[in-house]
Amino acid sequence: MVIETKKITISNRSNISYQVDRRKPLLDSLREQGVDLPYGCKYGGCITCAGKLISGEINQKAQVALNNRQINDGYIVLCVARPLSDITLEIGVESHNKLYRNPFLDPLETHELKADIATPLETK
Amino acid sequence: MECCGPGYASPAEAMKAPRENLLYTIAIYTGTGIQKPDYLCTIDADPESQTYSKVISRLEMPGIGDELHHMGWNACSSCHSDSSKTRKYLIVPGVRSSNLHIIDCASDPRNPTLFKVIDGADIKPKTNLSAPHTVHCLGSDIIISMLGDAKGNAPGGYLHINEAFEIVGRWENSMGDIKFGYDFWYQPRHNVMVSSEWAAPNTFMPGFDLEEVGHLKYGREIHFWDFEKKIPIQTMYLGEDGLVPLEVRFHHNPDSSHVFVGAALSANIIHCWKDSNGEWQWEKIIDVENEPHPEWPIPIPGVISVILLSMDDKYLYFCNWLHGDIRQYDISDPHNPKLTGQVFMGGLLNKAPEVNGVKVTGGPQMIQLSLDGKRLFVTTSLFSTWDNQFYPEIRTNGGCMLMVKCNTENGGMEIDKDFVVDFGKEPNGPSRCHETRYPGGDCTSDIWL
Repeated sequence: MVIETKKITISNRSNISYQVDRRKPLLDSLREQGVDLPYGCKYGGCITCAGKLISGEINQKAQVALNNRQINDGYIVLCVARPLSDITLEIGVESHNKLYRNPFLDPLETHELKADIATPLETK
Repeated sequence: MECCGPGYASPAEAMKAPRENLLYTIAIYTGTGIQKPDYLCTIDADPESQTYSKVISRLEMPGIGDELHHMGWNACSSCHSDSSKTRKYLIVPGVRSSNLHIIDCASDPRNPTLFKVIDGADIKPKTNLSAPHTVHCLGSDIIISMLGDAKGNAPGGYLHINEAFEIVGRWENSMGDIKFGYDFWYQPRHNVMVSSEWAAPNTFMPGFDLEEVGHLKYGREIHFWDFEKKIPIQTMYLGEDGLVPLEVRFHHNPDSSHVFVGAALSANIIHCWKDSNGEWQWEKIIDVENEPHPEWPIPIPGVISVILLSMDDKYLYFCNWLHGDIRQYDISDPHNPKLTGQVFMGGLLNKAPEVNGVKVTGGPQMIQLSLDGKRLFVTTSLFSTWDNQFYPEIRTNGGCMLMVKCNTENGGMEIDKDFVVDFGKEPNGPSRCHETRYPGGDCTSDIWL
């Protein structure tokens, strides 16, 4: 059986790249190849392992932690995200500059909430 | 009654125990960017010692990313009449990993060692539970509030483990209509347990979105249980007065029905008691006003992240994590608390940015009081993701621990000038300190049957 792989480039690690099984979560694939990544729950419920997608496409349907603003800012939860194409990522807390916000100083718009409670943007 | 089980015959006996000379405090790297395990610190609290106010040993957990948070003993005064029991093991859960670390603190109290790990990956399939929080022993067995199901959805339930640290299963017979879990405390002589509500792990673990409170993703109810039947029988809807009710503290006196709950976001203290007809009642007894801040569009809520009662049930202590103050109230009359002491450390109001030569990042958060009620140890980190939102500088500064001297006669508080532990200077880089326990028990560890 041929395992279909995708190329993962890590932009904040001197653009080092890895070939990974497209069916496996990125956290597992990258850690197996020696990339030191933070993680917590390993089921997509916390954002400890979040990275930022710079280019390419991923599937992270299983994540339940990110709100729509974080998703629009490119954040992906590596413990459940799988690559759909070759991708470029930023990893670690250096990529978290927009992940955390003071909720009182910078409230979310209704379309920026988590998917289950967000109001869709009005289409014109 | 003479016996030689763990703990003390009564709260009054506990107050006469020797002073705590060691502190066990959790320190975390989860969410900090430092790829090291969370760890249990042993801190020297003996003022006669050369290493007073210093971390003297560190026990790293086997893996990274646990987010150690709260912890509890295998045995407490609830087993005082059983000479076969000893207070030997701390059960130290990881909220994110769901791993339970069983740590031997008795063989060498200055150098605790890891005895066993109950793997979160075993707990989830066997019980459909995750995200452990509060640990209480029930006589010989142990129950732990678990805030989510195996996928991090609310309400979770209660994990029952036996004294050999084996998974027994679910403790409760029903969760009834309970929406969320968090803390709990039981008072057996009234056959009651009271539980509170934070949120689903999938809601609180990624951080705090204020809008989710309005969407009912955070708790606003507390629950009274038939403790023997292990079923919830009455719910108090606290509404806007009780947004995010967290810590639950019964009077230590086992005959008393008075119980106090801190509503974090409303910054209120809720008092419940059984009236002369045997009905449970509740009232708001303290309301911390929101404080204006020049850079904030709305006043800052206090965010009461912890409450605690002195062993004689005379004083209530709590922290306003965002305001930066610790308060002491005389609750001799539980319906009419009187503010008797207040100190500031850190916080967003900038009233005490530096204490004892250390920049305080974060605010007063977890507190632990000595059995005699005179020394209150305070740490500054709440939860990694929430720290990162409200106090982002904690990533580089780390947390710190201070001691507050408490006047038990007339009330009053004062920060001790000689005690400070700066977790910004830990060997592997800045870490964040959370809950503290004392080897001989403390004001949140022991329950009397």
